[in-house]
Amino acid sequence: MALLDLVNVRVDFPVYGTHSHSLKQTLAAAATGGRIGTDTGVAVVQALRDITITLKDGDRLGIVGHNGSGKSTLLRVLTGVYPPTAGIRRSEGSISSLIDPALGIEADATGKENIYLRGLVMGWSRARVKSVFDDVCQFSGLGDYLGLPVRTYSTGMLMRLAFSIATCIRCDIIVMDEWLSVGDAEFQANAENRLKRIVSEAGILVVATHSWGLVQRECNKAVELSHGSIVRFENLPPSV
Amino acid sequence: MTFSTNATADATASRSRHLVQPGGVASAGCGTAWDDWFTGTRHAEIWLSLAWYDVLLRYRRSLLGPVWLTLSMGALIMGMGPLYATLFNVQLSQFFPHLTLGIIFWSYLAGVVGEGCSTFISAASYLKQAPYSRSVFSWRIIARHTIYLLHHLVLFIPVAAWARVTPSPNILLILPAVAIVLINVHALTLTLGFLSARFRDVPQIVSSALQLAMFLTPVFWLPDALPTRARFVLYNPFAAWLELLRAPLLGHAPAWIHWQTAAIISVINVAIAILMYQRCRHRVVYWV
Repeated sequence: MALLDLVNVRVDFPVYGTHSHSLKQTLAAAATGGRIGTDTGVAVVQALRDITITLKDGDRLGIVGHNGSGKSTLLRVLTGVYPPTAGIRRSEGSISSLIDPALGIEADATGKENIYLRGLVMGWSRARVKSVFDDVCQFSGLGDYLGLPVRTYSTGMLMRLAFSIATCIRCDIIVMDEWLSVGDAEFQANAENRLKRIVSEAGILVVATHSWGLVQRECNKAVELSHGSIVRFENLPPSV
Repeated sequence: MTFSTNATADATASRSRHLVQPGGVASAGCGTAWDDWFTGTRHAEIWLSLAWYDVLLRYRRSLLGPVWLTLSMGALIMGMGPLYATLFNVQLSQFFPHLTLGIIFWSYLAGVVGEGCSTFISAASYLKQAPYSRSVFSWRIIARHTIYLLHHLVLFIPVAAWARVTPSPNILLILPAVAIVLINVHALTLTLGFLSARFRDVPQIVSSALQLAMFLTPVFWLPDALPTRARFVLYNPFAAWLELLRAPLLGHAPAWIHWQTAAIISVINVAIAILMYQRCRHRVVYWV
């Protein structure tokens, strides 16, 4: 049973360390779309305003919007990372965040140690980590490199590892920033299948993207964000 | 934005309802501050592993590994012991165990408190990944410094043997002493961690204060050498914690006044930490 619910959510970002309060901010506001207020002395970016979204089992939500419209912030509010400044967030079910899978990878630890550490940090038991360990090792296709420190990896290898760990377990809710495509042609095909599988097993999918085609293909609901507000909401027909 | 308006914003945030997500420490923002704290504390496996890897990775490419911790501390103690015994004109056999434990426990206390400032700043990549329990990151730092401490404490064995420190039943008092110190450093890492994430001057202030505190605490000198009019410096919290840890290992019971000081400080410390935890645990992710 998966459920994700936002009611009248607002998110204000305090931005500390900015000392100029005039022209630069006005320009930034025009360029990025966030509303920057200074009513409290510190620059505050109103990243999201009046966001109400209700997602139930089977919902596939696509979020579109230009850069700085609040897509990523909204994703992080949905995963619970950013607690709303005002409004209500409710969720039921385990959440898997594929927003930036490489975040929190320890560069000096080996690939294998990273699998183990990440598993533990995600709150899995030792037994559960063990049960997925071989699968992650095999799927990443990194072979002997898994015994080397992650800092020696190329960007592509790092993404393979991060992707393999992040997708090794089924979750009730999946939150993604862009449809992940990692690695070379061969890995991409495997990754695509794996992603499709965990997405199809998940109760709820939320994906932020610039591609309207992707939204039409994968989603049954779509919202468009602009300046931190929802400007359009659509129920999409099932794709053929 | 002043601190008080921040707190108001947070109060709004904590009023929003969160249902508990099953599984793991990724459940901050759910339930009460107590739930969040307890979830993180309960998952000892996580912070112990993180701390263990912190130590492991730091020394991975060195030949001697964590033995360096013991060696460098040993060099410091061996150098300072005879020097200060001569300077203060005291017998080395009486002074050496005192100094050894003084330096070892001081480096633990100063290390934990100093690094406590970066409890959440250094955990930024985790905090932005998932809503992890905040207490995990405090325990991670404490566990890491405790691993360092154990490497250092080994040095006390030869020193005690050489100086003929006679063990007595008082050594059992180390248990309540450790408990008190752990409670205090945990509270401090949380308080300083939240404060430093929001106000980046705090780490600088803390490191200056620690430097001063080192001289006001009987780390190097014997408390008996202090004239009566200056004895008030022994009431500083570091002096109390240090004495509680040191005296049992030297075979005597810590003076009653140090238990009292430590008890009062603990109550204040924990009260502030609870307040900070309630007010800042949601907002901290916006600050790092």
